[in-house]
Amino acid sequence: MIANTLPEAVRRAAEEYGAFVERLEDPLAYEEGCAFHFSAKDNLCAVGFQARAGSRVLDGYRPPFDATAVERLRQAGGLLVGKTAMDEFGFGTFSTNSAHGVPRNPFDRERACGGSSGGAAAAAALLEGHLALGVSTGGSISCPAAFCGVVGLTPTYGRVSRWGLIDYGNSLDKVGLLSADPALIRQYLPIIAGPDPRDPTSQAQPPLDLGGEVGSVAVPEEALAGLSGEVRGSFDDALAALEGMGIEVRRVAMPSLRFALPAYYVLATSEASTNLARYCGMRFGDINEHTDQSFNDFFAQTRSRDFGREAKRRVLLGTFTRMVGFRDRYYTKALQVRQLVIREYARVFRDADVVLTPTMPFVAPRLEEVGRMRPLEMYQADFLTVPPNLAGLPHISMPCGYPGGLPVGMQAVAPHWAEGRLLALADRWGAGFAYRRPEVRA
Amino acid sequence: MDEEMVRRVARVARLELTDEEAGTFAADLEDILAAFAVLDEAPATEGFGFNPVPVEDRLREDEVVPYPDPARLRQEMRAKDDWVRGPRLT
Repeated sequence: MIANTLPEAVRRAAEEYGAFVERLEDPLAYEEGCAFHFSAKDNLCAVGFQARAGSRVLDGYRPPFDATAVERLRQAGGLLVGKTAMDEFGFGTFSTNSAHGVPRNPFDRERACGGSSGGAAAAAALLEGHLALGVSTGGSISCPAAFCGVVGLTPTYGRVSRWGLIDYGNSLDKVGLLSADPALIRQYLPIIAGPDPRDPTSQAQPPLDLGGEVGSVAVPEEALAGLSGEVRGSFDDALAALEGMGIEVRRVAMPSLRFALPAYYVLATSEASTNLARYCGMRFGDINEHTDQSFNDFFAQTRSRDFGREAKRRVLLGTFTRMVGFRDRYYTKALQVRQLVIREYARVFRDADVVLTPTMPFVAPRLEEVGRMRPLEMYQADFLTVPPNLAGLPHISMPCGYPGGLPVGMQAVAPHWAEGRLLALADRWGAGFAYRRPEVRA
Repeated sequence: MDEEMVRRVARVARLELTDEEAGTFAADLEDILAAFAVLDEAPATEGFGFNPVPVEDRLREDEVVPYPDPARLRQEMRAKDDWVRGPRLT
């Protein structure tokens, strides 16, 4: 049952931390019986709320339907308490690229939540017993889960229907779950997973098996270069703790990982630049009333006025890498690299149950530090979360240390469809490592 | 990558850029593409898919199902007298 403190907790998460861009405000709405409470990232459509995906171009858009994941959680008795803050269309690592405000890290309000599901991670950290629906294209569940000290599961590509999701990159987008309590992820993953005739990519999946064991982890040496001292220290301690639990730690080489980051950004921006073609100012959101203009001027006016800076940057990059003369060098090569990375993981999985790395190379940065980063530096911060996302492999981020009181996450990657292995590892890890909740001032 | 190329790409992408934007994006993309040149060193593979896992098409019989609430869609589009408004085609 829902505690009567929930409406106040949601209000504070929204007003003091910017976790929600829209929330259930009517206290009476909380009093109807429900089994649990959840939130949806603002790129998932839900009746009763706007769906703006962090973009001004969608201001005012109220979808007349629920995304499949939202619909299934509501049918299971869940109360949708709000839509969570995110980077515009998912374009970012810190949730700072939004037309609707920047969420604040529950462990330190001067720091970023991570992105792009930053509001989802903040809500999961702040609200007791909360389940947050997130979406990952290149690490948008793992990254904020690590920075906000919660568990974030990104299922296999195709495991959870994307129907009702505002697309970023169609060959990469995955709907997943974040929570401070991994038992909730175990409980509700089977609810949102499974075939959906409205999303063909969900149709070929094998049944979800939540069994599975982890006896060994592989740590690629390539993942250990470029880490901050505090992340390296926490991760080394975690490896020692895992060995103490009887889990074998193997050191491996995965040389193809260095190609994953550029390949991911080429594919993601190529797909994004075509997906964003639908925002033309005619059909939903911010409607352009200046219909006396020519076709091209009309569309260009809406898009130039409403897209944020990072959205424009990614549309330009993705349009360029698909253009005649450059396509083979970038787009086609990136598709080949994806196969290379998938094969490299498959080779490592022959001798180890999961691949384990830190989730992010540093702890949550201060928002002012984020403001000084070059775009390329921001992209490069994703070098650990991008490879499993590019390969469509399921992965989970869980807290593994708190240097200076700030959470560090570690990320385990399993073979396609083996989500059960990740949850088994999370159970085992959680039994021996004490997760901390942020101290929220009264 | 220079400002001229950025403007050419922007025209294809239906974006109007200010002078400041064209200059900044040219520098940003130059920085990004220089780092992405490492892709040239990646070995080519024989064949590739457009999805990371096999996706199968399951076809069903076509069935006409009316949209439950067309008025909602017209409302989103701010249709006038049931007409959707758009720019001139010429």
